[in-house]
Amino acid sequence: MNRLFQKIPRIPFALVILGLFGLARGPVEDRLRGELISAKLLTPPPAEGAFEQMGQSALMGTLGGLRSLVATFLTLEAFDHFSTKSWDDLRQSYQIITALEPRDETHWVSVIWHLGINATANMEIDERLPAFERERRFKEYAFQAIEFAERGIEQIPESSAVRIQLAEVYREKLKDDCATARVYGDIIGLPDAPGYVRRFHGYFMARCPGREREAYAYLMALYQEGERQHLPTLIKEIKNLEEKLDVPGPRRIPDADPDRPKKTPKRPANLLPGDILVPFTREDLRRIRS
Amino acid sequence: MNVESSAPTPPLRAAARPVPLFSPGRVATIATGTVTQLVRMKTFYFLLAFALVVVAVGNFNLPATPAKELSMIKKVSFGTMDLFAWLFAIVATALLIPRDQEDRTLYTILSKPVRRVEYLLGKLCGVLFVVGISLVIMYGICATMIGARESLFISAEIEAMTAGGRYSQEEIDEQVGLIRQQGLRPELGFAVLASFLKASVVAAVTIFLSTFASSSLFTIIVSILIFLIGHAHTMASGFWLHSSDNSLFVQMLVKVVKILIPDFQLYSFSEGIVQGEAVALALVGQMGLVTAGYLVVFLLLSLLVFVDKEF
Repeated sequence: MNRLFQKIPRIPFALVILGLFGLARGPVEDRLRGELISAKLLTPPPAEGAFEQMGQSALMGTLGGLRSLVATFLTLEAFDHFSTKSWDDLRQSYQIITALEPRDETHWVSVIWHLGINATANMEIDERLPAFERERRFKEYAFQAIEFAERGIEQIPESSAVRIQLAEVYREKLKDDCATARVYGDIIGLPDAPGYVRRFHGYFMARCPGREREAYAYLMALYQEGERQHLPTLIKEIKNLEEKLDVPGPRRIPDADPDRPKKTPKRPANLLPGDILVPFTREDLRRIRS
Repeated sequence: MNVESSAPTPPLRAAARPVPLFSPGRVATIATGTVTQLVRMKTFYFLLAFALVVVAVGNFNLPATPAKELSMIKKVSFGTMDLFAWLFAIVATALLIPRDQEDRTLYTILSKPVRRVEYLLGKLCGVLFVVGISLVIMYGICATMIGARESLFISAEIEAMTAGGRYSQEEIDEQVGLIRQQGLRPELGFAVLASFLKASVVAAVTIFLSTFASSSLFTIIVSILIFLIGHAHTMASGFWLHSSDNSLFVQMLVKVVKILIPDFQLYSFSEGIVQGEAVALALVGQMGLVTAGYLVVFLLLSLLVFVDKEF
């Protein structure tokens, strides 16, 4: 027996054992991979496009199991692009970052904010470019932000933060009230959805041409929920709709109570957290000195 | 009659005690020797480099929310921890058998009633013990940094939110909860365990390679290559198949690689834990079983090559 064992060529025998073990573990590992991905513990492989866009070092890092490290490094790089207003490089970095860590909500929110708010704002004021070019790029960045948001929502359907950021792009930059209302509407009912989205959905629906009646019914339903919802903006929006839809007098709601106690008094703009006063006027200076 | 010849002759030597087939005591002795050997190589100095990385990342001043900053510190710290663990497992394991050969310790050990499987197992256990201790120390450094930053962020956030009296206690609690979610949580221990499991498989593969390799350098290079391929093949095979229009040759090659090389990418489940996902204990248990399978098979393969190797 011992002699027979000694006659067996070792390396091919080892390869056979390795092969048999590989065949046995293959299905187990495939099943485990599926379960780990479903439990969100393992990230699915990056999209093919991401590999093509990566630099050599990023690619090696990713393939070598340093996916999180590469994503963090690229986030720092993206911040550098933000500082230098290199918006196309920033978009490129986030293409890879979001492909590497598609389940990280903060990456999606950051890229929508950078492209949809910062890059578009930069195009509004960048005097070095001709007006036509600035307008074209403004739209380009806004649509790129929307495209990122759609991909982000596909990856994290339960995310309200991604949608809130998208709504801000529609609301502040594209001034598209119908789309803003639609996005706020999508947020209602999601986990972590802030309370104000129900009202915002109604406010922007009221400004969307052709949806005034629907908006009136929706805002009235909110108003009838009780005192808690009798906020000045809600009342103002209902009043506007009453005018627009010519609602008869007896069915109209009373005006906003000017003496309604505000939840919190308005904080002066020059009062920083920690009650640090930044002097804007002589009066402020006197108060600080006293 | 010769009286002398009839007297019973006393035995020249006491009968040798039978050597047990396997002795955990001997494995423990070799493992202890390996730990001493590695400590004398000043291997723990790399922990200083790790501490520097963690301190540097912890002091980055980024315009990000506290939760995002904490998440970034965790990702970099655990990524570096994982990198150090597998790299250390490869280098330490690759150096051990050749070093024993150079020092002639190997001949002394094997001339004693020590079975070769005990020698290999002892070496592996020694390396794993040092890797485990290093990971625990690295986790300690990392936990101290995350804990310190977390408490700093929470107190700053509470101070800022209560200053103007604009936020209710519920809103403050919600904000603090967001930071805590990315802070120091007991689940992070499982991320360390994942790195340890990965390093164990890497060490077992390296010990197999070092049983037939001609030099430590060869073992280190080939082990790193196997690690990279083992990490990348799941990610790269889809891309490769797509770019080669699903060619039969590439399909066969991908299958062979998948069968022969361990799948290290599975152990990246630590990334999910670090990002704040809930730990599925059953899955961690199954990963432990898969690791045990790898260790047994690679130890058997090492023994197959090492058992009648002439020195």
